[in-house]
Amino acid sequence: MTLLNSIPPGLILILGAIVLLLLPATARKAGAIALAALGFYAISQLEDGEQLFPTLLGFKLTLLRVDATSKAFGYIFTLCAFAAFIFSWHEKSRAENTAALVYVGSALGVVFAGDMITWYVCWELMAIASTFLVLARKTEKSLKAAQRYILVHLTGGLILLAGILLAIQATGSIAFTSEVLTQNEMAKYFILLGILINAAAVPFSSWLPDAYPESTIMGGIFLSAYTTKTAVYTLIRGFPGEELLIPIGCVMTLYGIIYALLENDMRRILAYSIINQVGFMVCGVGIGTNLAIAGVVAHAFCHIIYKALLWMSAGAVLYRTGKSKCTELGGLYKTMPITMILGTIGALAISSVPFTSGFVSKTIIVATAEQNNYLWAWLVLEIASAGVFLHAGIKFPYFVFFNVDRGLRPKEAPKPMLIGMGLLAFLCIYLGCHPAPLYDILPLVHRSALPEATLESTTFSAIYVDHFANVVTMFQLLAFSALAFFVFLPLLKRTPTISIDFDWFYRKGAKWFFWTADKSLNGLNAAADKYVIKTLLPALTRFALVAPATLTAMALKPVWRAMDPDEAGLAKRRDELVAKFTTGTFPIAYSAACVLIILSLLVLIGRTAD
Amino acid sequence: MSETPEKPFVPDEPTVSRKFWIALWLTCGVSVLLELLVPRHVHFESSDSAFASATNGFGFYVALGFLACSSAILLAKGLGLLLKAKENYYDDTP
Repeated sequence: MTLLNSIPPGLILILGAIVLLLLPATARKAGAIALAALGFYAISQLEDGEQLFPTLLGFKLTLLRVDATSKAFGYIFTLCAFAAFIFSWHEKSRAENTAALVYVGSALGVVFAGDMITWYVCWELMAIASTFLVLARKTEKSLKAAQRYILVHLTGGLILLAGILLAIQATGSIAFTSEVLTQNEMAKYFILLGILINAAAVPFSSWLPDAYPESTIMGGIFLSAYTTKTAVYTLIRGFPGEELLIPIGCVMTLYGIIYALLENDMRRILAYSIINQVGFMVCGVGIGTNLAIAGVVAHAFCHIIYKALLWMSAGAVLYRTGKSKCTELGGLYKTMPITMILGTIGALAISSVPFTSGFVSKTIIVATAEQNNYLWAWLVLEIASAGVFLHAGIKFPYFVFFNVDRGLRPKEAPKPMLIGMGLLAFLCIYLGCHPAPLYDILPLVHRSALPEATLESTTFSAIYVDHFANVVTMFQLLAFSALAFFVFLPLLKRTPTISIDFDWFYRKGAKWFFWTADKSLNGLNAAADKYVIKTLLPALTRFALVAPATLTAMALKPVWRAMDPDEAGLAKRRDELVAKFTTGTFPIAYSAACVLIILSLLVLIGRTAD
Repeated sequence: MSETPEKPFVPDEPTVSRKFWIALWLTCGVSVLLELLVPRHVHFESSDSAFASATNGFGFYVALGFLACSSAILLAKGLGLLLKAKENYYDDTP
């Protein structure tokens, strides 16, 4: 298996996707699961360091940069893909299977890229492949959502490209490192903006809740995991300790909560919840200490697991009922109890309930805010922790599986779906009770410099017995959040509505802009046509034709009168002259006479000048 | 897919049962009592700000959890008046 040491893991999945295209459905689906497992194994075989340096346009690329950070993201990307492909056994679409594999492969390409060109190419490939996961729903809404999604990502990609080119010009290097990315001020902000669009930072966030809920059941699971987390990975690489990210992350956490509370569509609630969770990670990158970065990697790892689990449970409900609005769902615990239990485990994990994975990862980020005296950021993160329980921990399972029984009696989710969800639910609890395997793969460089023994305390008793006070405060926070939810439950009654978000500016706003441009520019065009093209220019043409004829007629009038004193004859000669001017047809003798006169005048002028 | 029940369906009342309320209040009560028994981790020891020291007060997380979530719900309710639109709001746009 030494070959796996020197193959970019992303390439395994992308090439595999092409091969699988030729196979029948069952082999294709099994192949996708096997490819995800092979990718995971290949990552485990990689040794730290850089390798594979092909040359492109005179630049030496680095296709494989392996360290603890890239391996941690690689592990979770392939692990999530493995569970998601098992869950999606029902899906026979060739295009969807291929798009998902290419999407995961290109995300791995970004994670293991050691240069900005490889990063950028994989980044754009991700955008294209993921668009197919929205398109595959094959509804008018998904088609339009996919169109908006790709436009936003291509715009973000172009901004990123501008930043990369500026960085290359300023430094002469294509290395994908913090030093190169941040050396030139303008390059830095272009790159940061390009990444933040993919991270769904406010106000560039609305593409996510716009597109993800319109994707297929399988597509939603994949989309929830890769684009935003790849953006978090690139922030870790390029901008650790960039303090601007702290307020940006804080705003994301609160924005996600408020919009998730407003939403009626269960998958849109989960989409806003992604923004909230990525906000924690962005904030952690902004804090930027070794422990904070370790916390971000840990939280990204756990987040992908429980978020995919939540999207799976929502997907199972959508698969069985064909519905995704809270106003149409409810009471499903009666016939989908296993889906309810597994989905609730995901909901508890995202809420950082003790003994789940969220508790052992998110608390690290919150603790670093406190350690570094970011008082307001710490407070916002604590408030957001309570808010997560409110919208994702309680609202999602309550309105989908409990609330009002609407008479829906769907079957339990199919076995492959339950196996996929079961695997992730197990990981949520396993990592919550025994986080050592997770902490062991966190960046070593960060672990070696830990200020406290936070990550050294990886045993169950260290976390839950020695630090029982932290369990108590989290318990209080969550219990009273739940109390607030049920006290104010009448205010949370769902309505069949959507929420206006920043995409209003390019959906309604663009329509109005088009209307204004249409009326103003086309009005200007019509006026120009009427007054310039149809009135002024013909008048000028007439003037250009008639004026010389009139002047000539005036000059010739005495001659004509001498030749023919009759007024009718004069008028006839005048009309003939005008006609000749108009058509440009003069007898050759006239032209010759004119040329002769002009030449004579020139000679005369020349002699006078001498 | 979904199966239609044989009898005409009467929806449940969307109320939370009394037992659930008791369990919820008990959970909250126990969480407060536990704070009396377990010494809390002290936040922002080096900070001299009044707010920083307030975070170490008894019941801080109780107040934070309840007030933060109540405020979020009320804020969302208020913003809903402004931000909620009919489902077909964007139907005539690309």
